[in-house]
Amino acid sequence: MRGFLTIGWKDLKGILFNPIFFVVGGCCTTVWGFSFWTGLRRFIGSMQMAAMMGQGRGGMDIHGGFFVQHISLVNLILLLAVPALTMRLIAEEKKLRTYDLLLTSPVTATQIVAGKLFAGIGAAFALVALSFLYPVSMAFFTDFDWGPLISSYLGLLFLAAGYVAIGIFCSSLTESVVLAVVAALILNVGLWFLGTGTDIVEGTFSTALFEHLSIGTHLVGFVKGTVRVSSIVFFVSLVALYGFLTQRVIESSRWR
Amino acid sequence: MIEVTNLTKRYGPHLAIDGLNFTVAKGEVVGFLGPNGAGKTTTMKIITGYMAPSDGSVKVAGFDVFENPVEVKQRIGYLPEVPPVYTDMYVNEYLTFVAKLKGVPSEKIASMVDSSLQKTNLQEVHKRLIKNLSKGFRQRVGIAQALVSDPEILILDEPTVGLDPKQVAEIRHLIQELRKSHTIILSTHILPEVQASCERIIIINRGRIVAEDSLEGLSRKMSRGQRIFLKIRRNSKELVDSIASLDGVRKVESVDGNGVLHVDTDETEDLLERLSDHVVKKGVGLLEMRSSTFNLEDIFLKLTGSESHIAKH
Repeated sequence: MRGFLTIGWKDLKGILFNPIFFVVGGCCTTVWGFSFWTGLRRFIGSMQMAAMMGQGRGGMDIHGGFFVQHISLVNLILLLAVPALTMRLIAEEKKLRTYDLLLTSPVTATQIVAGKLFAGIGAAFALVALSFLYPVSMAFFTDFDWGPLISSYLGLLFLAAGYVAIGIFCSSLTESVVLAVVAALILNVGLWFLGTGTDIVEGTFSTALFEHLSIGTHLVGFVKGTVRVSSIVFFVSLVALYGFLTQRVIESSRWR
Repeated sequence: MIEVTNLTKRYGPHLAIDGLNFTVAKGEVVGFLGPNGAGKTTTMKIITGYMAPSDGSVKVAGFDVFENPVEVKQRIGYLPEVPPVYTDMYVNEYLTFVAKLKGVPSEKIASMVDSSLQKTNLQEVHKRLIKNLSKGFRQRVGIAQALVSDPEILILDEPTVGLDPKQVAEIRHLIQELRKSHTIILSTHILPEVQASCERIIIINRGRIVAEDSLEGLSRKMSRGQRIFLKIRRNSKELVDSIASLDGVRKVESVDGNGVLHVDTDETEDLLERLSDHVVKKGVGLLEMRSSTFNLEDIFLKLTGSESHIAKH
């Protein structure tokens, strides 16, 4: 237990105080900031249009009409940025040979993986928190329904944790951080494309299967404001699956 | 303290170590000696629980390394070939991290870190980034890391690589200090190192133990007798022959024609006296005379030199 926290805190500090985090964070906020501003202008424009045509608010709410766009951009950026945060977690240890230290310390492979997940998820949550500032800033200008926004962000947190688990798994496979990033990107994108499987299969069972495996289906639920247990289970099992695989990779160095 | 039974490790078809058997008692300092690629590091990695053997077993303090890895790892401080340091951490911060990782109780961490800094003479750099330290200092941080949890057993893989002669002497001194309270295995291919610090030597070559004894025992085993080194101003064939005819002299070798002679002899007590008398009577100008037992280097080369030789011993 203590071993896991020791590794976790050290790595979390290692990520947050590393220049890479500032570069990644800076890039993300630039993109989000620009898109938030243009999106807001467009939203205000359409609101005014609707008002002029005498439709009141025109059935548009700030969540569906504007925040959703921001949230999907956050998702896209996380898909690209999280691998950059997690790439060093194990690959760098192998390269620096500090892996020897971890493997000869009285900690189990499970504790090592748990520590790495803790650090990676902590850093990814910091990014998600940054992106949360944009919609929150709207609270100064208008009242809106917080429910869907918060459930969307809950979804984003789960999603980020999934990306982290994938990133750490890829990082455990190699000594090269570049390879770790590329592999994680491919797996992340692959996970999204799994959802498109619904278009090519027939039969209710296989359609339902692909729907359940699609990240999109689950995230849309959260964005719409419905927190389903099945979606939570999906994301938790995603993290557990890749955590388990990473644990096996680390454990394998003992018998290979 | 450490029992190694029939330890074997294969990397694919390559046999890295082949049926090693040895034990290390509590408080012993054992030197692991062998040429590069002999299997020293592999053996050490298996003892530390870094990797599993293909066959055989290792018991540390009664715990099987493979079945109770955590128990074993708590008792071992390990310095790998490359010091396992995080280059973007401060020395202090790094040692604190290692102490926590090794399960040192939190109230003891600060004092343990201090004492390991002191033992390895790192006080003046403890607030520097490891990235900016020289190789010698990094190596010492690596040693401090192995010491920080005050483990019962220290396994040091080539601890003095990259250090300057003064630091090497310090590390040897440190090992002398530590031997009082720790069991130590150190590997090296630098012979004086073993000569200076170890009670017992295990020489391995191509994955097998070719000799295992104390230094004196090894010297005795390798050569009954001694070698006398003579330096003479006026050397001649006649002198060499006359020395060779002395009772107890086995072989005389004129080394470089400049009057340096190696005289291999039986161990007769009065031989030195008779030999010196003989040379002085000849009036050839005796400049230097000393006896030497075979040193570790001779033994090492003899043992690891050729397979046929190994078979004989």
